[in-house]
Amino acid sequence: MSIATRGQFLTLAGGATAALAVPALAEARGAAVNDADVSKLYAAAKKEGKVVWWTAHYAQDAAERVRDAFKAKYPGIDVEFIRQTAQVIYQRLSQDLKAGIHQLDVFASTDEAHYVELKKQNVLAEFAPADIDKIPEQFRNLDTDGTYRVGTLAFVLVNYNPAKIPQPAKRWPQLGDGRFKGQITLGHPAFSGYVGNWVVAMNDIYGWEYFKNIAKNNPKINRSIYDTVTDIVGGERTIGAGPDSLSLEKKAGGNSIDIFYPEDDSVLITAPVGVLKEAPHPNAARLFENFFYSKEYSQALVKSSCFPLRSDVPSVNGAKLDKIRWTRVKVDRLATGVPEVVAKWRETFGV
Amino acid sequence: MRPSESNAGRRSVRFDPGAIVFVIALAALAIMVVLPLGWLLFTSLQIPDTGRLTLGNYVEAFSKSIYLGPILNSLILATSVATIAVLVGTPLAWLVARSDLPGRALLRAAIVAAFVTPSFLGAQAWMLLAAPNSGWLNKWFVGLTHAEHGPLNIYSLAGAIFVMSLYNIPYTFTFVSGALAGMPAELEDAASILGARSWRRAFTIVLPLALPAIIAGFIMSFLEALAEFGAPAFLLIPARQQVITTQLYLFFQFPARIELAAAYAMPLLLVTAALLFAQRRLIGGKRYTMIGAKGSRHNLIRLGKWRWPVVGLAFVPPLLAIGLPYAALLGTSLSKAWGLGPVPGNLTLHWYQWAIFDNHETQSAILHSFSYGFVAATIALVIAVAVAFAVTRNLVPAGGLLSFVCMAPFVVPGIILAIGFYSAFSHKPLLLYGTAWILILAFATRFLPIAYSNITTALQTLSVDLENAARTLGAGRLRSLFTVTVPLLRTAMLSAWLLVFIPALRELSCAIFLFTPRTAVISTVIFDYSDAGNFEAVATMGILIMAITLTLVTVVYRLLGKSVIEAQA
Repeated sequence: MSIATRGQFLTLAGGATAALAVPALAEARGAAVNDADVSKLYAAAKKEGKVVWWTAHYAQDAAERVRDAFKAKYPGIDVEFIRQTAQVIYQRLSQDLKAGIHQLDVFASTDEAHYVELKKQNVLAEFAPADIDKIPEQFRNLDTDGTYRVGTLAFVLVNYNPAKIPQPAKRWPQLGDGRFKGQITLGHPAFSGYVGNWVVAMNDIYGWEYFKNIAKNNPKINRSIYDTVTDIVGGERTIGAGPDSLSLEKKAGGNSIDIFYPEDDSVLITAPVGVLKEAPHPNAARLFENFFYSKEYSQALVKSSCFPLRSDVPSVNGAKLDKIRWTRVKVDRLATGVPEVVAKWRETFGV
Repeated sequence: MRPSESNAGRRSVRFDPGAIVFVIALAALAIMVVLPLGWLLFTSLQIPDTGRLTLGNYVEAFSKSIYLGPILNSLILATSVATIAVLVGTPLAWLVARSDLPGRALLRAAIVAAFVTPSFLGAQAWMLLAAPNSGWLNKWFVGLTHAEHGPLNIYSLAGAIFVMSLYNIPYTFTFVSGALAGMPAELEDAASILGARSWRRAFTIVLPLALPAIIAGFIMSFLEALAEFGAPAFLLIPARQQVITTQLYLFFQFPARIELAAAYAMPLLLVTAALLFAQRRLIGGKRYTMIGAKGSRHNLIRLGKWRWPVVGLAFVPPLLAIGLPYAALLGTSLSKAWGLGPVPGNLTLHWYQWAIFDNHETQSAILHSFSYGFVAATIALVIAVAVAFAVTRNLVPAGGLLSFVCMAPFVVPGIILAIGFYSAFSHKPLLLYGTAWILILAFATRFLPIAYSNITTALQTLSVDLENAARTLGAGRLRSLFTVTVPLLRTAMLSAWLLVFIPALRELSCAIFLFTPRTAVISTVIFDYSDAGNFEAVATMGILIMAITLTLVTVVYRLLGKSVIEAQA
């Protein structure tokens, strides 16, 4: 990095406002920022002092670990974050945008359809993180226009209490078996993006009959997908359609919970992350998103038993993307599918 | 109104600075009450994209069965809660007011504690106690009896009714206690002389006289249960039941249907208004305040051999509303992992350290709750004093209308007020959404009626002669207000301020729609942590908020108690 460049940059960023710095950096739209740019980003981000991040990607603990890892790598920048279900953070962002309020930098939902909607409103910034080429190639260009990228990989699969259920459901339709009456715990597609993905996937493979069958088993309906883990660990229920991450994390903590990758495919969610065009901390926002493709980020995820984004960081249970049977709902289908299944869900389950 | 007095006031050539305060209060009232309710109505009649007027929102909201089911559930919930609250609250009030029940003071204190406990916190605690399989009470039951299942299921309509009833008992209790204390003893003495035994007196004299208060308690609880959001959200979503307020919340979820929410809210608003009107008629315009009513001394009825069994029974509701829930919350907040239960190795102060020192989100939420509550209470108090003074002293025309506007928020459930606020203030020219002001004003508006009725009552008991004397001696209206009236009103003002501050501190149903993460308050943080099983964090925040509130309540009671003693001396 040339000192002159850095000096010029700092004059620009410091002399006026951070808003001036964005166009300066974002000039090469779409083109990847390189390592030198990352240092510039860091310098500019330090002046902004913090980044605001709303995430539905993982549970509270994992988000705290990601925050701590970022702060360790980039001292001087604070991370303010909220963890809530995807639909809730999206609704809050929509309310903000409608009112013309810009308080969010980095939006990390688990429902890719949100980004399609945000793109239509032209509120997402194009950004090509320097380190995006460190993640599996198939997920590098989630959006061909580069307004959002993959932020985490997670599976919806069968989680269960092995002490109470020696034989979990090995295929999804088995959740309709009579032996699971009063045993099942689920999240809600109107709250959780992961659950939305899963419900659309099941609906498209097995038809809505699938859920009518499950309804006969009187499942407990929660808001977040992580509630399934709470229910199983707490002994409230014994089997669910849940997340790999928190289930494995609780297993590591000595709780009686395990996961099973269903033979008829786990549902892989490529949860996106994107920077808002009107982000109040534009440089910190980009630095933070770029951090998602660092080794430190994937390592922080693995510490919370989340699936790593980078293939050079091993997963906590040794699971590999090419060894697991998984299916993924394409974004176009999600956009129409989630509202559709939420309406059906309400008819079948009453909430 | 004495015409000569008001004419003299109007003819006064001197510039009156009091008028400025009043005009500001008037403008604030217009912004806080008239504008949001107007927008609520307007939004309900609008097609959002085109802005064209329509009745279509009403048709859609009230023709689909998925929207009608919640209304039925809400009615069942509210009726049951109100009935139970009255059936329990009335005898409790009678026992405390009229019998020689041991531990009456403690019972009263416990009911006050239940009164200030938000029912969403109670619901959270009862989830720990009575979840069908993992609830501690059920586990103990199974452990003792080796039954297959525990008997309790908090995730049900019955569970929600149970929890909400517990926290609604204080309404009936307070109203009926007030009525009993204010009842002239002569009536009962007469019956006693004529040979009526105590039970007969209770049923033929006391009960009929207390009936308006009982009905008022029923209506209050009915309305509270109808408007409650937190407890149903926690307990009824897993129960797969929907009520009006949770349905309103869903209307705000993607894709947001604010217009449908506004239309759906209208009947709730009308029912509330009608019921409160009925209540006013029933209690004959009498106002019940927290300050003890004056009445004659009653001879306490001896419970005799029934004493101890009755004590046992009487303390069941406080045990269920306060004892068990707070034990559960405290235990959870001190646990490393709540699932492990109260075992020695599981003890930690980590979550308090986390909430108070380590976590930015909870820190700022605590700070926000305090500062917003503080400002909101102050705004409500200033408006209440300015308007109540102007109205009771006949300084302005249309006093009745002003009084009505101040009391109007009382009939607006929090969640509906929030929809009105969101409709009115999420766009220019008054863009308040995203700022602290929308929460502050919402809190001030929501609890303005409490402040207003308290100040009005206090003003009505103050003679105008003192003010007139000051005026005769040449003091302006504002000066006489500040040097004469305000000092005399000090206690009433302090209590009015605290009666706004305390509920604002833990308000959820407005805040959940109006906060943004930058302006999160304790209640919204509790709500956010309530999914994904962060029970320890939720319990810790709950204990913190209640420790603060109960301290404040104790202070209020000390202050008010003292003032009552002074008044009698």
